[in-house]
Amino acid sequence: MTEAIADTSFLIDWARYSRRDLLWRLFDVVHLPESVLAEIYSEGTLAWIVDGLASRRMALFTETDDVVDLARRIVSLSRALPARGVDLPEAVCLAAGLKFGYVVLTENGGAVMAPSFLNELSPVKVMRALDVLHALAQAGHIGLRDEVARYQVETGHRFAKRDLRRLGLE
Amino acid sequence: MEEWIQLLEEAREIRRREADWHFINSLPPKLRLALTYFVEVGDIYVASRIAGMKVGEFDELRRKAKVPMV
Repeated sequence: MTEAIADTSFLIDWARYSRRDLLWRLFDVVHLPESVLAEIYSEGTLAWIVDGLASRRMALFTETDDVVDLARRIVSLSRALPARGVDLPEAVCLAAGLKFGYVVLTENGGAVMAPSFLNELSPVKVMRALDVLHALAQAGHIGLRDEVARYQVETGHRFAKRDLRRLGLE
Repeated sequence: MEEWIQLLEEAREIRRREADWHFINSLPPKLRLALTYFVEVGDIYVASRIAGMKVGEFDELRRKAKVPMV
């Protein structure tokens, strides 16, 4: 079973994507920390989450003391990252990724770069929306170029040219 | 490491370029500074705390200010 955990920075744009349910092609369950759920404001995003929880595609992730302790340590370690660190909400997702093997879904730059720079987090797989779209394309579910364009139009998200070039889209 | 730093810099440039600065500068200081922080750093959680909002609520303000997530 492939499981992921998502933070708010990923969900707020992904939830606006008309083909957002493609996420279930990659992950059997997406966990949502309680602290992330508490930050959701938009009715549309909340409705999608409620549907996900009801259909058991999503699951509530309750932050236990051991996860929070690990997350606090990650926050501290992340001060060594170039340019930016990680705050507690993203660190909770990274801690869950390390502890339970969940893929971490985030757009937070610090969280994305953390496994590359912090040895302790090197086993953690982090994916941004562009990485998810790329994985969906590789699995044959979508055409990458069209879907990247659709995602940007529908969500207002902008992908960096540097990333698009890496995928041969620029 | 250089590649990561360049990626973060490109993201910052996109946010700066697309932001509606007329709208941002018309806001009360707390919201203006929170949006400016988001443009410069791209961290929506901390920006929402500066604004005194939930992340989702700050996200609505970010969209009004035309600052993209990158």
